[in-house]
Amino acid sequence: MSSGYVAVQWNRHKRVYDIIVALALSLFIATFFVIGRLMYRGEHAVSDEILLMRALGACAFCSLTVILCIGPLARLSTRFLPLLYNRRHLGVATFLTALLHAVVAIGFYHGFGVLNPLRSLLETNTAFDSLASFPFQLFGLAALLILFVMASTSHDFWLRNLGARGWKRLHMLVYPAYLLVVLHVALGALQTQSSSVLLTVVLAAVSLVGLLHVVAGMRELRTDARTRDEPPLRGEGWVDVCGVDDVMEGRGRVVCIGTRERIAIFRHNQSISATTNVCRHQGGPLGEGRILDGCITCPWHGWTYRPQDGTAPPPFTEKIATYRVRVVGKRVQVIPTPLPPGTAVEPARIDGSPHG
Amino acid sequence: MDSTAPMPPAADSASDQFYCGYRPVAPSLRMTLAVIVIVLIAAFVATAAVMSRQHGDPGTGVWHFGTPREFVGRIVCEPYPMLLIVPKERGDVEALLLVEMGKFGGGQRALPRDGQWARVTGYLLERDGRRMIELLDGDAAFAAVDRSAVAGADRIEAPPEVHEVADQEMFGEIVDTKCYLGAMKPGDGKAHKECATLCIRGGIPPTFITRDNFGKRTYYLITDPAGRAVDERILPFVADPVKILGTVERRGSLLLFRIHVTTIQRM
Repeated sequence: MSSGYVAVQWNRHKRVYDIIVALALSLFIATFFVIGRLMYRGEHAVSDEILLMRALGACAFCSLTVILCIGPLARLSTRFLPLLYNRRHLGVATFLTALLHAVVAIGFYHGFGVLNPLRSLLETNTAFDSLASFPFQLFGLAALLILFVMASTSHDFWLRNLGARGWKRLHMLVYPAYLLVVLHVALGALQTQSSSVLLTVVLAAVSLVGLLHVVAGMRELRTDARTRDEPPLRGEGWVDVCGVDDVMEGRGRVVCIGTRERIAIFRHNQSISATTNVCRHQGGPLGEGRILDGCITCPWHGWTYRPQDGTAPPPFTEKIATYRVRVVGKRVQVIPTPLPPGTAVEPARIDGSPHG
Repeated sequence: MDSTAPMPPAADSASDQFYCGYRPVAPSLRMTLAVIVIVLIAAFVATAAVMSRQHGDPGTGVWHFGTPREFVGRIVCEPYPMLLIVPKERGDVEALLLVEMGKFGGGQRALPRDGQWARVTGYLLERDGRRMIELLDGDAAFAAVDRSAVAGADRIEAPPEVHEVADQEMFGEIVDTKCYLGAMKPGDGKAHKECATLCIRGGIPPTFITRDNFGKRTYYLITDPAGRAVDERILPFVADPVKILGTVERRGSLLLFRIHVTTIQRM
């Protein structure tokens, strides 16, 4: 969240994150390269440029796999949330690694000849009717273009101008990109090097991504089903959503009423507030956040809103929807119709004086 | 506050593992994160090691780039530019194919010198006893010499012995000779298809590689039925596993495969 735009709002956390990312990617590439050099030496040596190209490609594939695992892992355990916090840095680093892979591959396989390298890439192999000879490079090129669009819009400037929903949709293209990368690998490296181990690694990576998404999705559905069971009360549209003791002081609880949007219930200073569960930034689950310095703090990227009116503290201007809330006895009740973003709703005191 | 209502436990800032990117990290979370990062990096590097061990052996091709050598013999341009020499260690005539730097054949500079005796300088590529010269840039690549300065000139001038075998169908792969002899390793297979196609399009001679049941490779220089360079209709089949019907001809040290491009079938 920002009141102005700079390329990167560096702080110590981001520096440490980026150093770890750079270290991990460098170690991957160096390990791949050195082992490749040691395996075949002398007149059997693989060309350095081929080794480098393979190292960069393998690194980009594994890094993209990790990126796709971070989301569901963070849904399954809050321990992984710090990896999610600056994930866009890992995304940009992955794109740059994939770009270098493409530059080396296009440079050496398509350069130094009678055709422009890009023309050679697009024109030379047109065996679209043959699985064995299919120009797998085109899958990689399409994936790279998607990653380029994502990397170049990985900034709050684009988030604001595209809108949270539009930006999110755009960045969901990472899934088609991953599919294209898998096809690129399957019809390229896996056909070229008939190694069952390589096939196993790729299948394991794809399975891990799929499995984590399914498990995280099923857990979300179970949670929604559990909180959806609360029976609505009669009159004025108040709905009983949970007990006051179900919400820890300084924390939130997510409830789901019917098929409506999820609502986040917060307890702060012995008062209960209710807001939408969806953060304005990237749709993070606010109800899984904390109250820090009196503000609801999103667990994904730390965006903050005041619980009493859903408005970000100055100088920020973001607003989220609030809900009318009251405490009756030991129960929390809300009217599940969202109020316009930024609408002030007095928090309900837990001492037995309900507000509505 | 309702004194009868027990206060639920508050989030203890010391033990709470909530992370916020602009606030100090709780000590317990710091330890958790250290473990996660170490495990992730270890898994990442281990994956790199496992994947890198899957390279196939690219073969024995060697490109002596950076160490130019001189060869003296006669330039011949049919079916492809080559220098005929008689190496001391062999005693018979050897054909050294001539190519330029990059993905270009040696025709442009060799054709005006067709039939001449010359000292040719360049970088040697060699594999399985097959050799090729990548010509130096500029005037240093060629120097005319007198016939008397060439060892084995008589044998070079003598018409080569030609042994023609009946038409036969063979399975193998069309490669560009330069990469396969060591310019790019590996210089065959699907990943190398576009590179090989570009090389052959640029005039580098195509070679048909077959393997017997023991993996032994045989190199056939591909020509058209008349024994001349093949045309671009061969390009779509480069680097694919193919079956070709053609005539094998041994011409001196060269093994030629005279083919009709229309007989090539992708397997």
